[in-house]
Amino acid sequence: MLISRHVIQTKTDKIHSWLFILPVFVILLIAAFIPLGYGLGLSFYRYKLNLQQSPVFVGFQNYTGMFKDELFIKSLKNNIFFAVLSVSIELVFGIIIAMMLSDDNTLSRLLITFLMVPMIIAPVASGTLWRMMLDRTYGIVNYLLELIGLPAVSWLGDYRIAIYTIILVDCWQFTPFVAILVLSSIKAIQKDIIDAARVDGASPWKVFMRVVLPITSPVIIIVAMIRFIDAFKVFDTIFVMTQGGPGSATEMLPTYIYRQGIKFLRVGYSSATAILFITSMSIIAWAFIRLRTRQLKRLG
Amino acid sequence: MGWFMSKRRSDNYLSNFLGVPTRIIVLILLFIAILFPFYWLVTNAFKIEREYFADPPVVFPSQITFQNFIDAVKKYELFKGLKNSLLIASGTTVVTVFAGSMAAYALINGSLPRKLKNVFAGWFLVQKMYPAVVVAVPVFYIIRTLGLMDSVLALIIMNASFNLPLVILLMIGFYQEVPYEVEEQSMLDGCSLLQRYFYITTPMVKPGLVATGMLTFVYSWNEFLYAVILTVNRAKPLTVTIAGFITDKGLIWGPMAAMGCTVVFPVLLIMWLMQKNFISGISAGALKG
Repeated sequence: MLISRHVIQTKTDKIHSWLFILPVFVILLIAAFIPLGYGLGLSFYRYKLNLQQSPVFVGFQNYTGMFKDELFIKSLKNNIFFAVLSVSIELVFGIIIAMMLSDDNTLSRLLITFLMVPMIIAPVASGTLWRMMLDRTYGIVNYLLELIGLPAVSWLGDYRIAIYTIILVDCWQFTPFVAILVLSSIKAIQKDIIDAARVDGASPWKVFMRVVLPITSPVIIIVAMIRFIDAFKVFDTIFVMTQGGPGSATEMLPTYIYRQGIKFLRVGYSSATAILFITSMSIIAWAFIRLRTRQLKRLG
Repeated sequence: MGWFMSKRRSDNYLSNFLGVPTRIIVLILLFIAILFPFYWLVTNAFKIEREYFADPPVVFPSQITFQNFIDAVKKYELFKGLKNSLLIASGTTVVTVFAGSMAAYALINGSLPRKLKNVFAGWFLVQKMYPAVVVAVPVFYIIRTLGLMDSVLALIIMNASFNLPLVILLMIGFYQEVPYEVEEQSMLDGCSLLQRYFYITTPMVKPGLVATGMLTFVYSWNEFLYAVILTVNRAKPLTVTIAGFITDKGLIWGPMAAMGCTVVFPVLLIMWLMQKNFISGISAGALKG
């Protein structure tokens, strides 16, 4: 990725280069490296900020304790369920929409511009917006449901439904993201390939399955990876819409870590959760990247 | 039908892969699903109280009022939030674009050891992986120790760190597009790296710099997690004010929608200004790493 050019090296250039990199280094040090290292250290201690006691070294106790905590298990399950379901829906609809908008005309271009909107506005704002529309009594969605004879739904108040509501909002925000990225890779397919398949009498569906999907699969895999990892970062929407409730029905890992660390000030414990989190994310990403390299190799 | 069907038959061949009727239905639903929520947000911001709390809901408001915006300013400190959001987002943009482009330039045209570049590349990947919340607790503690709680500066530092990878990545792409002869020639003319950066190369990538800056602005304008952790009152940006609406004050939809419009509008404006750059910026950020 970073290929530098062949440069005539002078001494001042060398000094300048280091000076140029310094600001970035300082920012990352304060905001990323030190906190990460500090978090790693803290994860081996029992330390509560609100109690006037110094940290006690407890080894891996924080890590083993997690799996005895029901709320942690619950939020882990919720998060996996949320990630798998929302990413699958986003991929299916995203690919369909990308296909449908792959022709180059005014309507498609207009719709692509509109598609940008849900994904770039603040998640806090879209959470608020949906909360307004999904309100049990005054919400427009329930009104429309009743209009066509369906019962009103308690979108955010029912513990069985709330997680699906979060998934719905997530899909509204990020299906466009999938669609736009897949669309750009569909447009990059050479027209002759599709023309050739068409002349050979392949049906549009067959062209989609046998030509478009295989060619775009490396991009689809990367997009799936990004969305999957992002699904474990979901925070703003939940914070605004349900606060993890009702009960713990929509509690996910980020909200759990936030609550343990910032609300209950269990610094050691929440750091341990965080470290475990980064480790598992890296493993998932590594698996996706391997899958992609294999796919790229297969395509030659 | 020219605006709906393309001239090239192979294009329509793909876009109608589920049949023409399905396509029309899906696209109409898509159109409604994306735009109706915004119609709802905007109309609610201008509805009188009787109409935003109506059952059945009022789809077409009978009169337009600015009372919600006035309430948002007077009771809910819209201007304070707006000022903080602007300060945080523009501060982050300036810091990130400046520091990021310098680093990108040094990585491309400077003389740095190869290993350092790999370290940076590896770091970008790691940073993409972990959510901001995992460093929240240590950051909270560090910022408190530094005495920066509830300050705009703390949020600028945090947002900068999370936007730097994308900015560096994009800027590297722009610097690589400048022909190397330019660098070489000015080097022979005796320009140092510093001079080349400021006077020769960076002016040539100005459009890229602006696009990158706008992207950073949007991301830090929308940022919520660190804002809610690191601010109490004085430095609260708009996103936190909006979230506070729901949790503390019940549902006051009119002012809430007015606030929502204030958060969304600048982002839409930037998107409209950037158009295609925005898409390529987002996809480059997503796919290159």
